[in-house]
Amino acid sequence: MIEGVIRIGEFEWEVPMGWTPGMRVPGRFFLSDVLSNTLERGAVQQLANVATLPGIVKFSLAMPDIHWGYGFPIGGVAAFRLDDGVISPGGVGFDINCGVRLMTTPLTSATLDRRRDLIEQLYHAIPTGVGARSSTKVNEKELLEMMTTGARWAVDRGLGRPEDLVHCEEQGCMKDADPAGVSVKARQRGLPQGGTLGAGNHFLEIQEVKEVYDRKAADAFGVTQGQICVMIHCGSRGLGHQTCTDHLKILEQASRRYGIQLPDRQLACAPVDSPEGRAYYGGMAASANYAWANRQMIMHTTRSVLSRHYGLAYDEMVLVYDVAHNVAKFEEHIVDGKRIRVCVHRKGATRAFGPGSPDLPAEYASIGQPVIIPGSMGTPSYLLCGTETAMTRSFGSTCHGAGRVLSRAQAKKTISGRQVRDTLAGSGIIVRAPHDGAIAEEAPNVYKPSGEVVRVAEAVGISRLVARLEPLGVIKG
Amino acid sequence: MLIRVKAATLNDLFSEATVALTTVMYGDCRDAGIRRRITLEAADSDELLQEFLSEVLYISEAENIVFCGAQVRTDGRHLSATLTGEDFDPGRHNTGTEVKGISYSGLSIREEGENYAVELLFDV
Repeated sequence: MIEGVIRIGEFEWEVPMGWTPGMRVPGRFFLSDVLSNTLERGAVQQLANVATLPGIVKFSLAMPDIHWGYGFPIGGVAAFRLDDGVISPGGVGFDINCGVRLMTTPLTSATLDRRRDLIEQLYHAIPTGVGARSSTKVNEKELLEMMTTGARWAVDRGLGRPEDLVHCEEQGCMKDADPAGVSVKARQRGLPQGGTLGAGNHFLEIQEVKEVYDRKAADAFGVTQGQICVMIHCGSRGLGHQTCTDHLKILEQASRRYGIQLPDRQLACAPVDSPEGRAYYGGMAASANYAWANRQMIMHTTRSVLSRHYGLAYDEMVLVYDVAHNVAKFEEHIVDGKRIRVCVHRKGATRAFGPGSPDLPAEYASIGQPVIIPGSMGTPSYLLCGTETAMTRSFGSTCHGAGRVLSRAQAKKTISGRQVRDTLAGSGIIVRAPHDGAIAEEAPNVYKPSGEVVRVAEAVGISRLVARLEPLGVIKG
Repeated sequence: MLIRVKAATLNDLFSEATVALTTVMYGDCRDAGIRRRITLEAADSDELLQEFLSEVLYISEAENIVFCGAQVRTDGRHLSATLTGEDFDPGRHNTGTEVKGISYSGLSIREEGENYAVELLFDV
């Protein structure tokens, strides 16, 4: 383990006050011995840096997929008081509301025939990769509606079912969105990209439910063993990236003006209740709404393809849930016995609200929020649910994925994309990408084992396993 | 994605950083005569480089242009640059990695002997 970090439980570690100058609270993260071998000192430094920010509550936290990022570590969670705390784009990231959704189908592996053809059809129907443009024309007025109403904009346009909205975090729309916080440049980038998957680690995957661990929760989520599902992972595209860039500049100057000492300029921030803080929050929420609309559009295209290919009705393809991985939100949490309203930042972390929490649809209320953890191309993804423990230990948060162990450049140098594609095909997984380099960069062994990450999340109680899904076909951006 | 850039002058450092960014995103490029000009001011050279590359990223995506190079004149606080490039071609330029943003984390231009050097963290 990194020097100075203290083990305080089988899977829990503390970065004590003073580990880096100016810490206002300790850092805490959850990790097994297996995962600790890949922990970078830089990630712990970033966790400690977050602990220096004004108004941070209780701990600077990181989930079991902690790794070195920029500003916050990936897997970072921190809550800030509203009266003396800050809001920071470094706690959300460039890809605002990068997130994931899971949709069930009535298909099984036995009825999923012509799979290669299906993957090709999906690949050509959903714009994918660097420079991809949408086939759906959106004008300025519609873009404004996307930013203010999120997934509802798509549903109202016929690109989904009203029931889909209930199964999205925030019902697919942050109500405090303020498009005034989204610049002309960001809008220009967003106009042609609605319904596009993007590149990098974004993907659409056809999966089979291989194992159900919690029958009651799986029943509530509509998931059964052997069922074919679709997982979609993408975010707010250029609109969100530009919004982060724009506000980073504003907040970098604001930090100096408010006299906030920053150990890393990427942690640029402003008081939550300041003109700069409010402007970022409004623009971030508008970008988050764009991301929900984007994933809704992609899901609609997927339904169209599946409907044509297998004769399925749209209402047979049900959205289990849609979760955000990169976002800041105002939430109420109990801290030292008192319920307080805080600004929770989740950077590569998933909200994991437990049973009875607000914002859960009635059918999930007794179970907890569905939590969707994507694996890599050749490794399983997991469906989990939120817990009461998450509410008390991690501001209702858990991990978001596996986390890289090999950089993209190292992966490209040492791994042959073609070989990975052939190996995966030998295991029954069809991969389609714009080029083999994209496959090498996202090869299964460049990520930590997703099973170990969710095992730790369950062991510390911040989420509970419901089902394991294994990939059958992947479209990479 | 962490990129290390080294050059003999500050002008060249900014220019090489531009090529690094666009190569990561689009692979090879050939100058087809497209020109774009950028002028910027910032508090220091680190901020100037972050803003400059962010602007290159924006123009590239908004106008569908792949830049092959940049002629840069900067004193570390002010910058004027001419970018050269070609139209984005989905058949040739789809081999790269999308860059979401240029991070401030670790961005610190320094002198190394007779050269300038910087590490850039691209969010991909």
